[in-house]
Formats: sequence, C-alpha cells, structure tokens
Amino acid sequence: MANSLLSRAADAGGALLGRLQSVRLPGVGTASAKDDPATAARRWRAVTVLADPGRLTELPAPLAALGDRVETRVIPAPGDKGTELAARYRGPATDEDIGRLRQALREAKQLVEVGEVLRMDPRPHGERAQTPGGRLLDGAVAASRREGVL
Amino acid sequence: MRAVTWTGINQLSVEDVPEPQLLNDHDVILKVTRTTTCGSDLHLLSGYIPFMRAGDVIGHEFMGEVVEVGKGVRDRRVGDRVVVASFVSCGACWYCHHELYSLCDNSNPNPGITEGLWGQAIGGCLGYSHAVGGYAGSHAEYMRVPFADVGSFVVPDGVPDDRALFASDAASTAFTGVDLAGVQPGDTVAVWGAGAVGQMAARLSSIVGAERVFVVDRFPERLAQARTHAGAETIDYTTTDVAAELREHTGGRGPDVCIEAVGMEAHSPGPQGAYDAVKQQLRLQTDRPSAVREAIMACRKGGSVFTLGVFAAMVDKFPLGAVMNKGLTLRGAQVHGPRYIPRLLELMDRGELVTEHLATHVLPLEEAPRGYELFKEKADGCVRAVFTPHG
Ligand SMILES: NC(=O)c1ccc[n+]([C@@H]2O[C@H](COP(=O)([O-])OP(=O)(O)OC[C@H]3O[C@@H](n4cnc5c(N)ncnc54)[C@H](O)[C@@H]3O)[C@@H](O)[C@H]2O)c1
Ligand SMILES: [Zn+2]
Ligand SMILES: [Zn+2]
Repeated sequence: MANSLLSRAADAGGALLGRLQSVRLPGVGTASAKDDPATAARRWRAVTVLADPGRLTELPAPLAALGDRVETRVIPAPGDKGTELAARYRGPATDEDIGRLRQALREAKQLVEVGEVLRMDPRPHGERAQTPGGRLLDGAVAASRREGVL
Repeated sequence: MRAVTWTGINQLSVEDVPEPQLLNDHDVILKVTRTTTCGSDLHLLSGYIPFMRAGDVIGHEFMGEVVEVGKGVRDRRVGDRVVVASFVSCGACWYCHHELYSLCDNSNPNPGITEGLWGQAIGGCLGYSHAVGGYAGSHAEYMRVPFADVGSFVVPDGVPDDRALFASDAASTAFTGVDLAGVQPGDTVAVWGAGAVGQMAARLSSIVGAERVFVVDRFPERLAQARTHAGAETIDYTTTDVAAELREHTGGRGPDVCIEAVGMEAHSPGPQGAYDAVKQQLRLQTDRPSAVREAIMACRKGGSVFTLGVFAAMVDKFPLGAVMNKGLTLRGAQVHGPRYIPRLLELMDRGELVTEHLATHVLPLEEAPRGYELFKEKADGCVRAVFTPHG
C-alpha cells in the first residue's frame, strides 16, 4: 500500500481525535467541547500539582521550553489539593501551539509529582498490519498527549 | 519471547515479540508465572473498546517473579514473588494519596482519548487498549511493570499461585465494590454476575459482615460455585423474576446493597434484550445495561447500587427516576488495587478467602486462543482460563 496513503491515514487519525473533542451533540462529548479559536487561544489551561507552591517557583523544564510566548500562574489550590499551575499564550496561538502547551503542562506535573515522565517505547508488540484503519488509530494515539480537555 | 496478541475483532494469536525493557526508574521486569482471562478482555475482543491496534499484547490479571529492577525502585528485589495490580498508579498524585488508585493522574500517557469521552482521563491499565495507556499486557513470558513499588505486592509463602493470582484484579475489583458500596454488618447484598468478580464480591460481602448474600446468573456451574465457596443463595434470572424473588426473600424491602458484576454486554432474555442488542449494534447506545437496570429497580429505598461491570459510554432507557425518587446511591469504579491487595493477601494467607476453584482451566500460553474461546462461550464450565507462560 502506498506510504503516502498510510501517512495520510495517521494524520487523519490525529485530526479525528481533535474533532471528536469538539462534538456538541447533547450528552455526547459536551465535556470536551472546545471554545471558539480566539477564546481557546487565550484561555488559562491548568493542572493541579500535589506539591507546595514553593516547588514551582522555578518552572519545570517542559514549560520553560515554551519561553516568553506563554505566561504562567502558580496559586495554592483549595483544601489539600496542592498547587494550581496554569499557563496561556500571550498572543495568538494555533491548535498545534495549544497541543504543545497541554503536553508541557502534563509533563511538568509528572516531573514534580513523580520525578520522571512515563516512557512507553519500545514496547513489545506483535506484527502490526499496515492498514489505513491501524494507521488512523496510530495517529489518534500519537495526538492524544496533545489533545483532551486541558 | 512468546506473547498473546489481539489481531482483530474476535481474533487472537500467539507470536514472537521483542522482550520488554526497563524504561523508567520505577519499573521492574517480571517473569510472568500466571496470567488469566478477565471478563473485561471480552469487551476488548468483541470490539466494544475500539482503541486496540493489531499486535497489541493483552492480559492484566497476573503474577510473577521480579527479574530486573529499575534504579528508582525501593522495595522490590530480584527474586520477589509478586502479584500486580491491573491498573497503573504513580503513588504520588492526589488521587493515589486518597487511595483512588485507578484514577491516577500520571499513569495514562494517552489522556486525550478518555478526556474526550468522559471529561477527565482515568489512570492507565496494563494490556487494555490505547485508551488507557497502550501498555503491553501480561499474557507474555516477561512484562514491564511501571511504578512497581506502588503496584506490586510480595505474596506470603503460604499462599499458592492459583490463590494469589486473583488478588491482582478479580478479588480487588470485588473488594472495591463491597467497600465503596458501603456493605455493613447485617446487610443483605445482591450480586449480579457469578463470574470471578461477582463470586468474589459475594464472598467479601460476607467477610465484612453481610447477613445474606444473593448471586444472580444463569450458568448452573457458576451458581453452584457461588453457593459452595461464597455461601450465597442463588437466583437463575432465566427462570424467575429476579426483583420479585429478592422482595420475597427480604421481607418486601429489597437488598440494601446491589452490586453489578456483569458489564456492557449483559445478556437478557426477551424484548428488552433484543432492543439493547439492536441499539448497540447500530451504535445508538454503546453499552447494554440490563443488569444495572434490574439492580436499580430491585434495590431497597435509600440503598446503594454499585457498577463493577465495565461500561464504555452511553446507555439507553436508564431508570434515573428510580435512582432519584428512591434516594439511591449509585456509584462505580475501576479497581483500586493497591488499596485492597494487602488485605486480600492476608485473608488468603489465613484461608478465609479461597479462589483456586476459579482457575477451572490451566493451560500453556500457546493455548490462549482456545482458553479465550472457552471463557467467552462459558464452555466446559470455564470460569477463568489461566496461562502459564513458563510451563
Ligand atoms: N471495575 C473493574 O475494575 C473491573 C475489573 C475486572 C472486571 N470488571 C468487569 O466485571 C464484569 C464481570 O467480570 P468477570 O471477569 O466476572 O466476567 P465473566 O464474563 O466471567 O462473568 C460475567 C457473568 O455475568 C453473567 N450475566 C450476563 N448477563 C447477566 C444478567 N443480565 N444478569 C445476571 N448475570 C448476567 C454471565 O452469565 C457471566 O457469568 C465485566 O464487565 C468486567 O469487565 C471490572
Ligand atoms: Zn480485569
Ligand atoms: Zn497517581
């Protein structure tokens, strides 16, 4: 099968997962509805980290890597929940930028809480048939670190 | 090494795959000595959890021997004989600190999928699709166990393998339900489903003090096990009206606690079953919830209904009015393994919890496809098929 077809299928898988997040059928996926692009680009995205705010005075590396384009906010969370770490773009941001920010926030939280980011590959697996359906899923899985409601 | 892989809907194969490696400091590598089928795998096999990739290694209920230890691991040593929780938990996030281990924030590397489905991502599960992490499963000679200090437990010498194995998933799932549904001394508990999960829920209910326990299913050999090993009274739902039967036995009140251990492919005779099956095939509902509906209708006023059976997304004709007006508590959860495994191992060590009878078929790994066939069809009295990757 032509490689370009397979790689298009993987791209489509990533895009499909993105679109699923915006489905607004009553009761289906409303939790993951996306804002309109302009609001989405400006919204604070936050993770709650089980740690004292002092542990976040220096930004974890994945967030620091985004540089001046993002501003961050660190405030104590209510109750025993730790610290809210939020970030947003100062200027216009694409879907891809926002995906990168989601991943950076998730990795920042993991680094503070457990000290390392989960690695998944290489992992044992059997023969992977190179079908468009399989590549569609590969694309969705690859996109899933950068997708979601965060 | 040899491993069991999912190759398509209702297709499994046993093939050569690369061995796992230590990838994170908190990992261990386990030599898998026993690994078994779970009702949850059937939902994967039938294609109801669509995030499977051909070649994925399945299996999540298992035990083994530690053969390699990551440099961040504190409590595990090479040679330890351990049983491992099916869900992966980091031990450091707010959810892990509150013993809600299957809700771990840091163990599912693919959070985008379930955040979209449910509004929040849950933790990762070993060998159970890319929606919950895409980890390679336990039906293999060797297996990577992440966060091993949190998820693996040394088995006391006196506990045999075919007992310890079920602390991994079936018994810890059951304990999650019994505990979080709030079973109290003196309660009457009804359990739907006499698979390993339902039987363990029945037994653990009496261990925590339930006075009467009923188990509902249609397979005579499973109901017989529930009577013999859990001391339960049993109801065959194909021959009688379950709610009426339960009212008759409970002075008209209904059970205090109803635990559903059937899941999204519930069987039901009659028009309701046909309706659910057609809607599920057309994907107008993703799950068939007939046992949950029955549990809600049968439960006493102000009682508690717990769904241990796995559901993926949407159900139809759900009696929300009964939940609200009867003042029910409706709750569910994936298994919080590390919260219950230590207590289960103690109960097993004292001989109070016995599980060997669940291992009806012990087979070499090469025969896993046949084991799943028996388990899926409930043929030859199969309750759990257990595989022994190293003989
Ligand atoms: N919550 C968790 O973490 C967790 C963990 C393990 C298993 N599970 C789920 O628990 C469920 C049971 O698992 P298992 O391994 O015991 O499965 P199993 O397939 O061995 O047993 C299911 C039983 O339910 C019975 N059943 C079907 N329809 C019924 C109905 N309408 N009323 C009463 N009984 C009915 C079947 O006859 C069968 O005996 C599955 O949905 C599984 O996915 C959940
Ligand atoms: Zn299971
Ligand atoms: Zn955690």
